[in-house]
Amino acid sequence: MAVDETLGEMLARRGFSRRGLLKFAIVMTSSLALPPGMAAAMAENLAAARRQSVIWLSFQECTGCLETLLRTSSPTIAALIFDFISLDYQEALMAASGSAAELTLRQAVAANKGKYLLAIDGSVPVADGGVYSLTGGKANVSMLQEFAPDAAAILAIGTCAAYGGIPKAFPNPTGAVGVEDVISDKPIVNIPGCPPIPEVLSGVLVYFVSFGRLPDLDERKRPLAYFGTTIHDQCYRRPFYDQGKFAKSFDDEGARQGWCLFELGCKGPTTHNACASLKWNDGVSFPIESGHGCLGCSEPDFWDQDGGFYTSLAGGKGPGWRDAGIAAAVGITGGAAAAFGARHKTTRPDVETPE
Amino acid sequence: MTLLSFARGPGMQVATLILIAGMFWRLSGILLLRRRVAHAAARNPFAVRLLGGAVTIFTRAIPRRTFWPRVGAGVVLNYVFHIGLFIVLFGGAPHILIIHEIFGVAWPDLPKGVIVVASGITLAALILLLVRRLCHPVLKMLSKPDDYISWLIVFMPIFTGILLSGETVAGYGALLAWHILSIEALMIWLPFGKLMHVALVFAGRGMLGYNFSRKGAAT
Amino acid sequence: MNDIAPAPFQKAAPDVSKALRGFIADVGPTVALSLESCVHCGQCAEACQFYVQTGDPRYTPIHKIELFKQTYNREMGPFSFAYKFFGLAPKLTQETLTEWQDLVYDSCNMCGRCSLICPMGIDIADLVEQTRHGMYEAGLAPSDFLGALAEKEHATGSPFGLTSEKFRDLLHEIGATHGVTMHVDEPTAEIVPTISSIDVKTYPGSMAAIAKILNHIGKPWSFRTDGFDADNVSLTAGDRAGQAAITQAIVSAVTACGAKILVMPECGHSFTEMRWEAANAHGKDLPFRVLQITELVAESIQSGAIRVNKISQTATYHDACQLSRRGGATAAPRVILAALGVDVRELEDAGDANWCCGGGGGVALIKRAQPLRDAAFAIKKKQIEASGAAIVYTSCSGCRQTLDHGGKAAGWNTSVGSLLELVADNLAARAAA
Repeated sequence: MAVDETLGEMLARRGFSRRGLLKFAIVMTSSLALPPGMAAAMAENLAAARRQSVIWLSFQECTGCLETLLRTSSPTIAALIFDFISLDYQEALMAASGSAAELTLRQAVAANKGKYLLAIDGSVPVADGGVYSLTGGKANVSMLQEFAPDAAAILAIGTCAAYGGIPKAFPNPTGAVGVEDVISDKPIVNIPGCPPIPEVLSGVLVYFVSFGRLPDLDERKRPLAYFGTTIHDQCYRRPFYDQGKFAKSFDDEGARQGWCLFELGCKGPTTHNACASLKWNDGVSFPIESGHGCLGCSEPDFWDQDGGFYTSLAGGKGPGWRDAGIAAAVGITGGAAAAFGARHKTTRPDVETPE
Repeated sequence: MTLLSFARGPGMQVATLILIAGMFWRLSGILLLRRRVAHAAARNPFAVRLLGGAVTIFTRAIPRRTFWPRVGAGVVLNYVFHIGLFIVLFGGAPHILIIHEIFGVAWPDLPKGVIVVASGITLAALILLLVRRLCHPVLKMLSKPDDYISWLIVFMPIFTGILLSGETVAGYGALLAWHILSIEALMIWLPFGKLMHVALVFAGRGMLGYNFSRKGAAT
Repeated sequence: MNDIAPAPFQKAAPDVSKALRGFIADVGPTVALSLESCVHCGQCAEACQFYVQTGDPRYTPIHKIELFKQTYNREMGPFSFAYKFFGLAPKLTQETLTEWQDLVYDSCNMCGRCSLICPMGIDIADLVEQTRHGMYEAGLAPSDFLGALAEKEHATGSPFGLTSEKFRDLLHEIGATHGVTMHVDEPTAEIVPTISSIDVKTYPGSMAAIAKILNHIGKPWSFRTDGFDADNVSLTAGDRAGQAAITQAIVSAVTACGAKILVMPECGHSFTEMRWEAANAHGKDLPFRVLQITELVAESIQSGAIRVNKISQTATYHDACQLSRRGGATAAPRVILAALGVDVRELEDAGDANWCCGGGGGVALIKRAQPLRDAAFAIKKKQIEASGAAIVYTSCSGCRQTLDHGGKAAGWNTSVGSLLELVADNLAARAAA
């Protein structure tokens, strides 16, 4: 594949019609919540664009994000999108290893200086100089600092890269943080989720390739088109919430009737993601449809949330009974001191009360 | 830490501890003052006096008939507010969940429609009470900053609760955070202002009922 | 402010620190609870004759004790340190004390209707009594005449300076005039009656009536010239020491002759004092019973010790607040009226919710309070006129005097009578034993 070949030429070579590209653009504009009129422009831009270089670094991660992104069941149009990019470095996928792989990385960076997208999965451990996760003897944090300056933008893929994720969960021995905690002078797109929805990554890439800029982001640097609403807002069980019909246990009549799982700890109301609309496994289902509440995996600190996965959002973490007892004792002591001070005042009428 | 996790975690803990310490502080500060023993021969034996105190807690809830023409409107408005608040507080599903979480007791919740209507009525009554306080010459004169602070601090949880149930102006997470934070503000303020009447009303009525029963006087 | 210059109602600039000590001296859990509980609902105003009649929010009962409350919050409350540190409750000043004088004295009968309505169970009337302690200490009891009378009472044991000798002479004179056997200073007695100084001044017949009734009962009884004037103006003025001195004199006198019953005259506040407060000043339960005369008569009628003739009369009865609502003796006068066969047309709100005549709480003794008193009396006047009764009985000389004056001013043909005298006039002749 010649690097200077346009996507249109490449697709034509593969027998992919212009009409197919337009249809794809229509699907993507709708997924990105763009006006329908932009589909034609997107198709045109895509046809004229060149393959985008992507350098993917894996830090403190489980490869779940990558697995999800790769395991789209059949070569759909969305899967084809990966042909629009040139994945120049990805340790798990590339054939090269060891110093050969390192060399590839250097070459890719040199060739696309200032233009490549830096994709990160996994959190960045910063404790103790970052020694808890090394690649080729180099700490993740150093690699990030080395390759970020020459990137056009950074994609933080998965909750770990975006916010630190599970590695950051208490007690966080490695000092894990998200990419945005290390790099502050580059455009960053967070695509959180454990794992993130593959279509979201496709959408962001297509947008960047077609329009040459990043899509609109929210205050947490997430693509608004996918993270603008909560699971709860889009949930097909929402009418039951509005009616106050709740499953009280996972095997009661309410659960069988498919009522709202709020009381069983569903975090849908506070979780921003597109699961309820895009769904998983090519639109088959999503956790709530399968009868389990949302865990809130695309939100910061989801692993440490108060009360855990099965405590309803209504609850909070109050003080323990012991602390409450101490507070009561403090109160009684203070009140008693005040009362006895007051008693003293009345028995010493000759004493001027202090002003 | 998000606003919501602050509200649900440290905020909740601090507010609860202040609430408990403050209430005990105030109550013990009152009850541990030097007791003035009543030596005069009582008209009623101890048990009757005690009963008088207990009964007065309930009877003082409603003014005598002769007072109604003059105080009826205010009393009804206050009752609409208090009953509405009671329904929302103890009938709303999320509230029952919290009670269950803390004390392990639960009861069936009321339909959401009922809660929505009740909270609307409660809010309207609360607003009317404020208007009344601002217009009635006696209330206007009696009112101190505490009255207005307490009003606001009761208004906010109801208001944010209504917003939360509709999820109109912001997302659930943000509204829930503000709802919980407004309740925490209430918990922190309660021991120090007139909202303390949640406890003092029983103590006050009981004490008066007991003392007046001692005299065989009307309670 | 010019107001704090000595006015006819006070002798000198109020003493702030004495007021402060006076306020805090007797704060216990009950008073503290009352001062802490108010939610500013304003209902007490609607129970108060002064607010109801004038519509002036200053007369809201709980507002009258505001200085006491502020002082409590600064000095005695659980969070007094914060109140002081942040200046959340204003300090007492000569200005505020002077400003509140008329609220604490002129416009409160201590009738306790506010205490009856308060949804928080605050005994506001009791708080006013406590507030008057501080005001009195500060020198703010209206000197014309309440304060002056209290002072005299404190000094001589009687607000009008009636000495033991003069009282002895007076009793014998009354006995002779009315043809009643008087027992004075008997070494032993079972029953000791007392009088109110209003009786001496205005209703001397009531002393004859007491003697008649006690003679009828037939148990050994005696007036005591070493403790006879139960009036206790000091209580309404707020002079705690004077109050205790009067009380102690009577307690000693009754104890000295070994009496079992102290009979209180037709008087409201003196009953409150002797029945409910005296034992506290005494430090323990009194060694005798304290009965208001209506209670003694009602009890004696029920036991058969008093027999009365039936009279056919339509009358109404005015409850003295301190006897009914505040004293728990609401039933006694009704028992008596029923025994007499009087057709009682009860007033609106009769009994526990009755309205004060307007003179209670020493207000009758404050000259400048006349207009307020009259405004309050208007309620009573309307009620009495509505009852259609030709005569209104009462069992308190204070009330009686207020009703007399008010009725006269209104050109009434309704007469005012003493229940005690009614009983004395209708005692059945005793069959010779």
